Parts: sequence; structure tokens; C-alpha cells
Amino acid sequence: MISTRYVIKRLVLLIPVLFGVATLVFSILHLSPGNPATVIATQQADAAEIQRIEERLGLDDPIWVQYVRFMVEVVQFDLGESWVHNKGEPVTDILRWKFPITLQLAVLGQIAGIVFGIPIGIISAVKQDTITDHISRIGALTGISVPIFWSGPLIILLFAVHLDWFPTNGLLSNGPLPKITGVLLIDSIIKGDIVMFVDAAWHLFLPSMVIGIYSMALISRMMRSSMLEVVRQDYIRTARAKGQGEKITLLKHGLRNALIPVVTVIGIQFGSLLGGAVLTETVFNIRGIGMLLVDAITDGDYPVVQGIVLLFAVVFTMVNLFVDLTYTYLDPRIEQ
Amino acid sequence: MSTETASTTHEDRGFLDRLLASPFLSDLLSNRLAILGLSLILLITLMGVLTRLAVFVGVLDFGTILDTQFAQPRKHPPCGNPTITGWLGSVGSCQHPFGTDAQRRDVFLRTMYGAWLALKYGTVTVAASTVLGVGLGTLAAYYGGWLDNVVMRTMDVLLSFPSLLLALAVVAIFGTGLWKAVIALTLVYTPRFARVVRGAALKVLEDEYVDATVALGARDWRVIVRHVLPNSLAPITVQSTLNFGLAVIDLAALSFLGFGATAGTPSWGWMLTKGVENGLINGLWWMSFFPGLFLALTVLGFNLLGDGMRDALDPRMQDAVD
Amino acid sequence: MAPDTGLAAPVRRLATAAAAGVAVGLVAVGGLTLDGTLRGATETTFAFGALALGVGLLGWSGSVMAGRGIENMQRYMDTGSDWTESDSRRAMTRIIGFGVGVMFAASLATALL
Repeated sequence: MISTRYVIKRLVLLIPVLFGVATLVFSILHLSPGNPATVIATQQADAAEIQRIEERLGLDDPIWVQYVRFMVEVVQFDLGESWVHNKGEPVTDILRWKFPITLQLAVLGQIAGIVFGIPIGIISAVKQDTITDHISRIGALTGISVPIFWSGPLIILLFAVHLDWFPTNGLLSNGPLPKITGVLLIDSIIKGDIVMFVDAAWHLFLPSMVIGIYSMALISRMMRSSMLEVVRQDYIRTARAKGQGEKITLLKHGLRNALIPVVTVIGIQFGSLLGGAVLTETVFNIRGIGMLLVDAITDGDYPVVQGIVLLFAVVFTMVNLFVDLTYTYLDPRIEQ
Repeated sequence: MSTETASTTHEDRGFLDRLLASPFLSDLLSNRLAILGLSLILLITLMGVLTRLAVFVGVLDFGTILDTQFAQPRKHPPCGNPTITGWLGSVGSCQHPFGTDAQRRDVFLRTMYGAWLALKYGTVTVAASTVLGVGLGTLAAYYGGWLDNVVMRTMDVLLSFPSLLLALAVVAIFGTGLWKAVIALTLVYTPRFARVVRGAALKVLEDEYVDATVALGARDWRVIVRHVLPNSLAPITVQSTLNFGLAVIDLAALSFLGFGATAGTPSWGWMLTKGVENGLINGLWWMSFFPGLFLALTVLGFNLLGDGMRDALDPRMQDAVD
Repeated sequence: MAPDTGLAAPVRRLATAAAAGVAVGLVAVGGLTLDGTLRGATETTFAFGALALGVGLLGWSGSVMAGRGIENMQRYMDTGSDWTESDSRRAMTRIIGFGVGVMFAASLATALL
């Protein structure tokens, strides 16, 4: 089975990943036009004031000194302070409470995508070229083609405004978020507050569905082609020739093998799910990492942008580690 | 992949002849979904081009599309009826079939003009990334070795970033605006083209016929232009088609987040954003509904056609279950 | 994580690429200085070097990390692509070397001039 040593080895790889991402952020920061000092300074700041800020940030040092200092700070998890958004607040503190909101949304969306996408893909493959197949393929293509920022508002209009089944935006009807873990659904369970749990789930339903539709479309397409590919392979024919029933053959041999590429795709597209979360948060006015990122880029708040990018890299790495472990379960032949 | 298909391509037959003789076209035309996609694209193109022409020759006043000067915003529902069912009943017999927006501009005309903008910026994005991708891909395939490896593996790294987040990073460097968004998306899409072109080019280069040409002393660029490019055309076209849909949707997404189109531009992404801001929730649905609908239809059209083309190129997917 | 074949080949690859990077970096600093200030030139050159280093590092760790998954996916999907983990790592070593070389050249220019 999966050895601890293997997992540790993979976690060690996080170091070059973070080093690489931090280096990229550094280069973006220095390639982008504009003087950071003017972003921080107030409108009326004079040249002397701007120079003082430059000195404080070390912008007058040789560039390699700036690079080394930047790297040392990142290694110590010192992501600096926000320049604009809640000026002066440490970036790590901001991310600490914003991230669980986005993670919760992305995971719920992913779950919805998997739960609906895999069965649809299988049915589509089994009933290839029938009307069922056509409908699910058009459905999947439509899911990819319809922009979240259009379907989102329309879903709000229909289910939240006209039918009034769901709230239009936000995370809770009233009261501040309980800050225990930051994941609202878990926090409300810890607090033993059933009313809050239901309220949170009620608020999260529409946004997760909107993310889920996109994910479902991708997964069902991949599942369909993967399933067809596996069915084509020899051992299924052999199994069929031996006289096993069609459906049992498919499920017993096909499914497990067909899932392997699908799992890879799920891991790789988790990144686009985060991209989808940026749009969904904007549509549903959920103040998570996505809205924070958009605001930070608009305002030139680079410490925050950098913090978010580093965080995304960690999440992406962890998801792919998880995907890797899933392989070992799906196909024990893959040696470690 | 059999090499038979590649080796039947001789230069004495024109490209068009080859295309018409290949099963690709008939496969594509027998695919109903692809035809549906093609019809959608033609419809949208017609819409955009006609509106642009109407403005150009002066039949249509550009002011009614762009003008932001109306002092008193008076939002007009489509055909004076604010409900969706009511609209369905009265469409076609009124002055503003899609209603007016917060600045009292006609949403129908703006949506039509938006088709032109979507096609224009989409074409530039796709064309630019096609050219870059073809350059990098053929270079990598033709010269091989470490150059191939370095170019293609860098493309892989770029491909592994989520496209919207990568585009946002580029926007952070270059700044905002529709043309900047086009640059960002060009960089995001180039790796896909490079990968497809390299694959296709390698297949052509493996062909003995090209070896013979090279032995006869043909120059590098001659081999590339006369043999490699014509034979890579089909996969490039498929990729362009699929990416056109993506380009249209991603440009709109960047506009939606505030990094693309700016005030006044009748681009679908911007109209959608403004429509949502100006009160979708208050029941003023038409301002964002129509631009979004045409955006979705355009993207769907390109995706349907692209999918059909890919199936026609790779027929083994069709007879997968016998 | 070192391959059994020894370190000689990767080190040589890294060194060649770094040397190329230093050359390109010096030329870039020179060229950009003609068009602006030396400080601006070194900053831009250094930033571009950092861009290459960043991409290289991400690509290297990415191929080590996801390499097995991608190779497997290709085996199952029979996509006919010739991606391999070792090729990818080799390419990334070159890019890392090049980036470090450019950064070094830019730093050298700041220190000397």
C-alpha cells in the first residue's frame, strides 16, 4: 500500500514548486509597469514621501538583493502586508479566513460534478449514438459553452428572485461568520448550530451547482471517451467472448480502467475550478479568495496577489498528490 | 495511426481536391451536430457583418449603439412588457424587441453589434495564437533535439496553468483593456496550437516522400511551406475552431471581471456585466439576458463544429463499439 | 532523487545552459541600456531571467510530480504523444540553467558598472 515515505517524498517537492512560483511572482512584480510606492502612497504624497516608501520597501537596493530578501521572507511564510485592501493587515491573516470559503465552494462544486458527470458519461458511452447519448453530449457541450457569469445571474433570477427558494447572495442570512476552522459547514457542526448549518447549505447550494455544471460537463465528456476507448481494448472483447453479460463486463473490467484518465483530468482541471470560483464568487457576491484576487489585481495590491498565487500552487500540488494516491488504489499494477 | 493516409498526399493534386476527396468532409457533413454548429456560426457572422455594414454605410446611426449621453436613464422593457412570457407574445411588432438599457440604448442593436466585436477580437486572438503556435510547433518538429524538447516542455508548463488565472497574471503585467486581454489570451492559447502543429508536422516529416525532397536539396522553409503546413491544416483548423469558442467566452469573462472592455463598448461581456449590475435582480432581465444568450450560442456553435471536426479527423472514436 | 546514471550529464546540461544565459543576459543588459538607464536594464533582464527560472522550477517539479500520472493517462488513452518524464526534466534543467545565467549576468552588471 501507500508508504509514508512516498507521501513525504512528494511533499518535499512542494519546496521547488513554491520556490518556482515565488520566483515567477517576483518577475511579474518587476516586469509590470508602475511604481509600487505610488500604489501605497496617498494621493497627495510628494516626491519625498514616495522616496521614503521606496526606501522602506527596499526598492532602491540592487535587484538581486531584493530577490534574495524576497525569497528569505517567503521561506519564513512572511507574505508581507496588504498595500491597499485593509492596508497594513498581514496577508497570511487575510488568506487564513478567505481561503476556506473558496475551498468549500470548489470542493462542493467538484463533488457535484463527479456525482453527476461520471454516471452521465458512462450512460452516454454504453448507449453510444442513441438519442440518450446525443442529449447528454449536447448537454455537456452546452454546459461548457454557457458562461458562468451568464447562467449564474439567470439562476439567481429564477430560483432566488422569482421562485424565492434560495437566497440571492452571501453566505449567511444574518450574523457574522463563526471563525473556528473557516469552513462554514464544519464550523456550524462544531458549534452544534443546526439552524446555521441549514442556512449555510441553503446559501451554498446555487453557487456550488453553478460551478458543478461546468465540472460535470468536462467530466462526463472525458468519462464517455475514456469508456469507449477501454471498451475497444482487447481484454474486454476476450471477456465478452467468454460469455459474460454485456453490462457486467463493462462494469467489472471497463469502469476501473476508464476511471484512471478521468481521475487525472479531475486533478488537472481542479485549477480551472479555482478559475471558475473567481467568476462564481463575483456573481454571488461571496467574499472569498476569488473576489479578493480580482480586487487585488485591480488595485495593484501585489503582496495579496502573490499570497493568493502561492496558495493556489500549494492547493494544486496537494490535489495532484491526492490524485496520485487514487491511482494506486485504482490500479495496483502501478508500482511506486 | 496508419501511415497510408499520409503517404497518399502528393503535391500534384491541389489541396482542395484532396480535401474534397477525403472522407473528412463527408464525415463532417453527415454529422448533424456539426451542421447545427456551423449554422449557428454563419447566423452570428451574418448578424455581426450586416450590422457593421449598416453602421459603415450610415443606415444605422452609430450613436444609438454607443451613445452614453442620455441625461435621464429610463429603462425600457422589451416591447413594453416586463415579463418573459409577455415578451414572447409581442416580439416582432415593436420598436425595441430586446428593450433598452440603463442609458436608453437599444439592446437589440447593441447585441447585433456585439456579434461583430466578438468575431473581430476572437479572430485576432485565434489568428495570433495560430501563427505563433504554428511557428513554434513546426520549428520544434523540424529541428528536433534539445530545441524541440525545451520549446515543447515549456508549452506544457504553460498548459498546466488554469487558463483564466494565467490570463489574469498576464493582465497584471500588461494592464487592462480589450486589446491587452487579446494579448493575454494569445499567450494562453499558443501552447495548444504548438502542441497540435508539432504532432501533425512530425507525422508528415516521418513520411518518406519528405525525406526524398530533402535529399534532393529542398530548403528547410520550402519543405515546411510546401509539405508540412498543407498536411497539418486539418488539425490546425480543428484547434482554431475549438479555441474560437474559448476565446469568445474568455474575452467576455475578462470583461466581466473588469479587465477587458470598457464603458460604452457594446461587447457582450461588458453588456452582461452592466446588465447584471443595473438590476437583473430587480426584474430588468433583458439587459443581460440577450447579450449572454448570443454569447452562449456563439460558443456552442464553435464547440459543436469543433467537436464534429475532431470526430471526423479521428474516425476510430466513432467505431469504438462494434 | 538523483538518477542512477550519475550527476555528470545534468550538471553539464545545467552549465551549458547557464553559460548561454550569461551571454544572453549581458547582451540584453547592453541592448536595453542603450534604450534607457542601466538600472532599468538590469532590473528588466533580471526579471526575465527570474521568469525562466520560475517556469523551469515549476516544470521540473511538475514533471516529477505528475509525470507518472500523465504517462499512465497516455498509455491508457493511446494518444500517441511521446511525452516522458525524463525528457521533460531534461528540458527544465536547461531552462533553469538559462534563467540562473541571465539573472547572474544582470547581477554582475549591477555589481561591476
